[in-house]
Order: sequence, then structure tokens, then C-alpha cells
Amino acid sequence: MRLTILAGYLGAGKTTWLRHQRHIGNFVPAHVIVNEAAGIPVDDALLTGAQVLAGGCCCCAGKEAFRTALHQRADLSSRGMPQDVVIETSGLADPASILEMIRTDPLLRHHFTLEPTTVLVDALHARDQLMSDALARRQITVADRIILTKVDQASRSDIQLLLGLLQRLAPMARIEGSHMGEPYPLPSASAFVGDLPDTANDPLPQAHTLHMPADMNWTAFGVWLSALLHARGRDIMRVKGVIRTPAGRLLVQTVRGIVQKPEVIPKTSHAIDNHLVFIGRGYDTDRLEQSFRKFARL
Amino acid sequence: MCNACGFPERPGAWTEAGAASLHDRLRARLVQGDIANRMLGPHGLSARDAGPVPGIMLSTRTGAAVLVPDLPTLWAEAARLLGAPVDPLDPRLCD
Repeated sequence: MRLTILAGYLGAGKTTWLRHQRHIGNFVPAHVIVNEAAGIPVDDALLTGAQVLAGGCCCCAGKEAFRTALHQRADLSSRGMPQDVVIETSGLADPASILEMIRTDPLLRHHFTLEPTTVLVDALHARDQLMSDALARRQITVADRIILTKVDQASRSDIQLLLGLLQRLAPMARIEGSHMGEPYPLPSASAFVGDLPDTANDPLPQAHTLHMPADMNWTAFGVWLSALLHARGRDIMRVKGVIRTPAGRLLVQTVRGIVQKPEVIPKTSHAIDNHLVFIGRGYDTDRLEQSFRKFARL
Repeated sequence: MCNACGFPERPGAWTEAGAASLHDRLRARLVQGDIANRMLGPHGLSARDAGPVPGIMLSTRTGAAVLVPDLPTLWAEAARLLGAPVDPLDPRLCD
């Protein structure tokens, strides 16, 4: 069975890309495993039929659950039902430790052949992340195939600089462009000059789930979140969740201070309402709760 | 471009999602001002719905006022006036 690891930083567009690939017939009929670092799955609302492993990153806390899931696929294969597997890792995952786990587990090594490790890179934010964040760098360095997403929104010169940086970090990787999952042409790289700053003291981002009380008000919440993202957009890397509003259930997603247009999601989705996952660093989660309770209610 | 207020037509900020009916939108505009003032008040700023024109009016204690189209712009403008962003996690605001 073929096994593809799809990694990428928080909000790089992994689910969007995979959703489109499956729509056009790639990775079908593969079995999709989605890993979420936080306890509340959201991506399964977007990827139908995916197996969700929530509550721990598959490279550390959720490693054994993940190993068990792969053993089950191997077991099915020995009973004559092989199916390729695609793993969408959480944005906090270090793909190297997943690769190591698969390579060192005798059962998994026997059943799976690894496809090129695919890492999605956000053309808008990746340069900042790569300059400052050890995790973003670790993800790039193990990539066999790098897919640049949101290429249409970034300027040509920014993309050229980013390509230069990516080539420096992962000289062997094949780099492609993508726009909503469709191939997108890339300009030529401009060479990266200078040294990369040291990231050894960089704290790793933490996930925290906010449980919305019944008296939460969507409008008040919007005022609070917009202020928070303006003040802390660099530290709050990702916010994701489904919130009940007068207009229906809204999927709210942000990446580094930029809010995606909230999507109304169908009633049938299994995403849990009124839970919001915050991934970030540099703030106290008790303070976040306190501030939320003070400002997001009437 | 609107002759009355000078704002070009825009797709709408994300904070305006979730209010489908006219009633909900009107209510949302009032709630917006109320919550924004909880954060702006301690800094000596105030926000209110601009009334007949679309947008939010941001005022200082000395009476200077600026009309902004949406919440993300409101926070950017407040940060410009104060010299630092209004941080909802600021202990002086949360406690």
C-alpha cells in the first residue's frame, strides 16, 4: 500500500488542497486519516469519509493512536483489502518523527511504501514563519515535494524570495504552485543570501480549546476576536471552530491575523458547535479565557 | 463610491457574517458599539454606530472623530491614535 504524508504549517491549506485533489480523482480511493492537535475535530466537516484522530499531534502525544490506526489498515490489507493511505498531519506535526515511526515499525515497514512526503507552504506567510519558527523549518527540511499555496495572493517578488529560501532549506525538493488545489505557474527563484536566524529559543505553539457558553453572542465575539487578532495576530497562529449564529452554523478560521470568510456549514456535519481551538504562543490561556468571558458576552 | 460617506462598495468584513435579517443586522450594530466600548473606554476612546451612513464612528475625549468602515479598520485606527494596539488580553482590561 502506498502511504502519503501531507504536512504543512497551521493554515497552509492542507485540507483545501486535499479536498480538491480528491475531487479531481487523486488519492481516490485512498483512506484519509486526518490528525488534529486539539481535542475537537473540525476538518472532517470539510473532508467527507476521513478518519479523524483528534486530541494529540501524531508526532508526539497522539503517536500511539496513530500507530494503531495504521496497524488496522495493515490488518485489513493482509485480509485482502489493501487501500492506499493519505495522512493529513496536524499543522504542529513534525513529519520527520512520523516518518521515523513508520520506518522503524516492522509491521508498517512491511505493508507501506512511502510516497514523496508532501509539504504545503503558504506563499503569504511562509517567509516570516521560516525566518522565526523552528517547527516551520523542520517541516520544510523533510519535504520531497513542496506545494506553494495561495500563490495568487502573493506578489511575484515575494514568491521569488520564498522560493530561494525553500531551495536553501530543502535543495532536493520539487516545488510546485497551487491555487485552490489547481496547479499554478511559479516564477524563477531569487537566491537567498545571508544567514538564517537562530530559532533555538523559540517556544513551540500550544493548542487551547475555548468552550463557548450558551450566552455567548456572535457579534460580541466578532468584536473581541477582531481586536485580539489585531493586537496579537503574530502570536495567535490559528483559530478554528464552528459557532452557532442567527444565520446558521459558521465555520470560523484564521491564519496569523487573517480571517477567512466564515462559511455556513451543513447541519449534517459532525463538527462540534461552539468550540473554538486557539493555537498560538506568548499568551496565558487563563487570561484568554478571562478576556473571552468578559468581552464576548452581552 | 457612495457620495454620502465616501466609502467604496466593499465585500464586507468577516465580522458582519452571521446576521442574515435586517433585524439581526441592526441588533449587531448596537452590540458592536457596546462591546468595542468596553475595550476602548479605558483608553479614552469611544465607538458608536455611525447612524445613517454605514460604518463606525471612533471618537477621542477631545472630540476628534474618525469614521471607519468596519471592525478590523477600527482597531487599526485606535492603535494609530493610541500608539499601541488595544489588546483584549491586557490585564488592565480583563480584570
